[in-house]
Amino acid sequence: MQSSLFDTLKKFDLLIIAAIFLLFIPLLTMQRTTDFMIFCVFVLAFDLIYGYMGRLSFGHMLYLGVGAYAAALSAEHLSGNPFLALLVAVVAGGAVGLLLGPIIVRTTGACFALINLAFNQVGFFLALIALAEWTGGEDGMAAFYDSVWIFDFGDPKVIFGFTLLCLIAVVYFVRRLTDSPFGILLRTIKENETRAKFLGYNTFFYKLLAFVLSTSLAALAGALTMLNYTYATPSFIDPTRNVEVIFACLIGGAGNVYGALAGGIGYMVISNYLPNYIQRWEMFLGIALLVVVFRFQAGIWGYCRALITARKGEVKA
Amino acid sequence: MQNGMVLESQSVSKRFGNFTAVDQVSYQLFEGEAAGIIGPNGAGKSTFFNLLTGLYPPSEGRISLFSRDVTSLRADQRVMLGVVRTFQLVSVFDTLSVLDNLVLSVVRFHPVAGKKARFILGSAHPAAIVAECMAALERVGISHLAKETTAKLSYGDKRKLEIAMGLALKPKVLLLDEPLAGLSDGEITEVLDLVREVHKEMTLVIIEHKISRIVDLVTRLSVMHEGRLIADGVPGEVLQDPTVRQVYWGAESSRVFSGLAAEEKAEV
Ligand SMILES: Nc1ncnc2c1ncn2[C@@H]1O[C@H](COP(=O)(O)OP(=O)(O)OP(=O)(O)O)[C@@H](O)[C@H]1O
Ligand SMILES: [Mg+2]
Repeated sequence: MQSSLFDTLKKFDLLIIAAIFLLFIPLLTMQRTTDFMIFCVFVLAFDLIYGYMGRLSFGHMLYLGVGAYAAALSAEHLSGNPFLALLVAVVAGGAVGLLLGPIIVRTTGACFALINLAFNQVGFFLALIALAEWTGGEDGMAAFYDSVWIFDFGDPKVIFGFTLLCLIAVVYFVRRLTDSPFGILLRTIKENETRAKFLGYNTFFYKLLAFVLSTSLAALAGALTMLNYTYATPSFIDPTRNVEVIFACLIGGAGNVYGALAGGIGYMVISNYLPNYIQRWEMFLGIALLVVVFRFQAGIWGYCRALITARKGEVKA
Repeated sequence: MQNGMVLESQSVSKRFGNFTAVDQVSYQLFEGEAAGIIGPNGAGKSTFFNLLTGLYPPSEGRISLFSRDVTSLRADQRVMLGVVRTFQLVSVFDTLSVLDNLVLSVVRFHPVAGKKARFILGSAHPAAIVAECMAALERVGISHLAKETTAKLSYGDKRKLEIAMGLALKPKVLLLDEPLAGLSDGEITEVLDLVREVHKEMTLVIIEHKISRIVDLVTRLSVMHEGRLIADGVPGEVLQDPTVRQVYWGAESSRVFSGLAAEEKAEV
């Protein structure tokens, strides 16, 4: 019974996801809810590399930041078309991934994490100081977008709807990617890359592909943030903010699309409400993380799934 | 002589620091052979396999496959040319289901599902692929385990799975590194039967510790000792070779030695 209900729900997962975010609107502002969804896109991008491929990046803010600045620069120097800005951002994110990827994906473990962080710090420095002439340095830069057809991004409802569409598309895309043989290959790379090579796969190529897809999606999240706030500041590329996405991925359950969404929402809820009650709310993040590490290693989603499978077993027995 | 040559090494060596694990080994493998490689612990057998299959490059020498120099080719490129291996310690993906362990092998050379776009965005489990995976599992006798998580399998079943993963890649040469190690007597018989069956379709190289197990299976026997190839030929002759007897069995207990000698006489 339980299991068939679960399977039915799974068929309508995209609708359910949309419904959940619509329910958030009365609880928060529309702009804030949009923020939640953008963050979920970012978590999905990160999880492709971390949860599926088993490579922990400490520098994914770089790719988000590249997207945000690219979208802003596109408005300033090319045209006010928001869709062009999105395209420019995704291409820029992909290009940065393609440029840095060949160096980064050769490494694993701590090296992979830190090399991403190193590049992130370079990017932060560039945005803050070296390229301040273009990025506005510490003040950041504002950009305004024309309305195209029904898409007037000055209207929070429009940007909410558009971001929701983007999120659904990204969920669908990531699910296709990870349900494919490529998805299996990513998991084999996580478990034992050498063995995967002996199945005839050039793992370097596929790691690079996953990396570039991840940086492009992260840049999409950056560009959406830009549309949502109409300004980009160095905080969008700040390496110290990497902990947010790592944390979200861990509490949600890495290596699963629903886990990434649960983590994205979970983190945003915590960071949205806790500061109202407790000044140094980050400490509670730390405590929550400890609980996850010791008690719920598979994250929120992993815990739910274990419950469901346990129920299934009972039903059978 | 070039005709029918499958795999060849020309004085390949592998050094780890000052230690020479494989020392100037020249070896030729011909189509249809079932070649055995024996030798005491640390003789360099697995290292030699690693060189042949491209896990790491040799310190010296060259390796060719079907008369083509493959010394600088990556492991995956050699797989594409038909060299497939198993590992001394069974190497399968514990976190995946048994079926998913086979998907990558089945898809690799698949005319439709192997296409890049399909590989990246298509389903991993279309009916045709699942059927092929199941057939591959059937062949090694573990199709009833298809849905299990691989971590739950016994060592013997994992070995069968690993062989199935290799066979699904439709190899021209299959290199088996101690495929019988750690298996129960019943499983050994099953795997040996399978190997015998497989030999009808491809060239084989088998590393084995206990010669008695493979002596009636192989058409050719090579002995490695301290990184060098000290004998190579028809099993009967190799086992009579005085250096082999001294170097190889001298190091083992005399019980093993006499047991083998008796076994061998019975063969002849
Ligand atoms: N990566 C490595 N680094 C350093 N030494 C190594 C490495 N691989 C193997 N060796 C050494 O090379 C020698 C040969 O090892 P190898 O595994 O090839 O032997 P083997 O003949 O397969 O033995 P066994 O029967 O125990 O499997 C051993 O002394 C081993 O310690
Ligand atoms: Mg060995």
